Amino acid sequence: MTEWWDYGLADLLLFSPRVYYRLFETMNTTWGLVVASALIAGLIASGLALRHGFRGNRVILVLLALVWAWSGYGFLWQYYQPINWAVPYLLPAFGLQVVLFAIFAARPLPLRFGWRGDFSCYVGAALIAFAMIAYPFVGLMEGRELVQAELFGSAADPTALGTLGFVLLSRGTWRWVLLPVPLAWCMISAGTLWVMDQQIAYVMLVAVWVTVFCGWLDLKNGVTTKRLTEADIRDPAA
Amino acid sequence: MSDFDRRKFLKSAGAVAALGGLGVFGTGANRHAFAQTGAANELPRIIQKTIPSSGETIPAVGLGSWITFNVGNDIELRDQCADVMSAFFDAGGRMIDSSPMYGSAQDVIGYGLDKLGARDRVFSTDKVWTAGDGAEQIAETSDRWKVAEFDLLQVHNLLGINENLPLLFRMKDEGQLRYVGVTTSHGRRTEDLIAVMKNERLDFVQVTYNPIDRKVEDYLLPLAYDRGIAVIVNRPFRGGSLTERLEGQPLPEFASELEAKSWAQLILKYLIAYPAVTCPIPATTKPAHAAENMAAATGPLPDDKMREQIAAVIGVLV
Repeated sequence: MTEWWDYGLADLLLFSPRVYYRLFETMNTTWGLVVASALIAGLIASGLALRHGFRGNRVILVLLALVWAWSGYGFLWQYYQPINWAVPYLLPAFGLQVVLFAIFAARPLPLRFGWRGDFSCYVGAALIAFAMIAYPFVGLMEGRELVQAELFGSAADPTALGTLGFVLLSRGTWRWVLLPVPLAWCMISAGTLWVMDQQIAYVMLVAVWVTVFCGWLDLKNGVTTKRLTEADIRDPAA
Repeated sequence: MSDFDRRKFLKSAGAVAALGGLGVFGTGANRHAFAQTGAANELPRIIQKTIPSSGETIPAVGLGSWITFNVGNDIELRDQCADVMSAFFDAGGRMIDSSPMYGSAQDVIGYGLDKLGARDRVFSTDKVWTAGDGAEQIAETSDRWKVAEFDLLQVHNLLGINENLPLLFRMKDEGQLRYVGVTTSHGRRTEDLIAVMKNERLDFVQVTYNPIDRKVEDYLLPLAYDRGIAVIVNRPFRGGSLTERLEGQPLPEFASELEAKSWAQLILKYLIAYPAVTCPIPATTKPAHAAENMAAATGPLPDDKMREQIAAVIGVLV
């Protein structure tokens, strides 16, 4: 009689929205400079992603590695873990994502970020814009204070959402490797938010669906099947 | 007991009228015999219920910690939880229940007990919730509460019961634990629970029960009564959703007969009045609610007819 199958999602969520959103308030006030720096890093990365600079590709990947490392340690470990017993099991995934970004940054031919003008690019740009600009104000619309804002680079949800956008703005045969962790996080978080009766849960699910759809479109259109060359990486017009 | 008919059970229980320290089950509101708490002159007279396996009495309302006490390392919220515990103890409460599954709740209870210096006032109730090393988990739980021994440990949701129940009985035999129990919630694993209740000498069982979720009245509660097993009631307010839905609705007229000033008190009186029930454990984040819940264990309790009225009224409103 040791089965776990009779636990529902609601049984495993053991904190209230009040306590959950207080985590961001405490993190934002305690680590204000780091939180702001992580957001700025994300904004720089998004600016670079819309350009075609050769060096920019590696910088973007390094910045994304750094914000995932900070979000994993700063938010998950320091603040989320005390109220959510599942965090120690989820944290290695954040570590894996950091390592993946680092590996891509160190490769002779890293991913190439840039505007292709296709549907996936529009979706990618929209996800980044939503994660960095709109997401912090979601709480305000639901009656929470701005100090509880979830910011890209520190809070896990907007960081995962924005990362999906960055991946959609990139080209390279192995870019899909960067998708499972943020997709899985968005799914887990959607479940958490849904149990807490937070409407933003649906946005997380839509982001997952639309990213997978765009991944399929890109596969079909050859965006992720064409092997990148150094000329592709260096040539802004390619 | 071959046939646990609810009505027959209640009649016989009312006639016995001994378990739970309850006096008379007549018509209208019951006037019951009190067993007062410690220095009771300053406290409202709290209804005490008897633990059948020992004869010890405990206050008829406890304090749960599911969700409400999982506040992490946030000192401001920890202090609020300590305030809830303070109000609970001041109103005559004793049993606090937690679980290793409840995140930081155990640490927060330990913090509160430290802050209030209330280790001698608490009836410490926790659980073992692992299919692995139960002894290790219990040691960790003990560290978090900062108590040497627990009054009651329960196998949480029957998880790992074949390993954990013998462990708890062994601890009891060795004097490291006073009572042994098992828990379920949401009406899950009823068949397994019945088997354990029939085959093991449990001191406590914990089940979900409220005026909406009454399935336990059919068999489980009468079985507990028959077997001399004390009953802790979880989710008396359905995790808060029941009282939220009743908020703003006028109380029925008969509530004044019971001296119930809120739906929460009416629901708790409904539960306490059931002879097999030992202690509902409502959770709250507000000290005033902790005191209000404890006040439900004072004054008259509903008889069988009035309990049915309470269930009917609430059933219509939610």
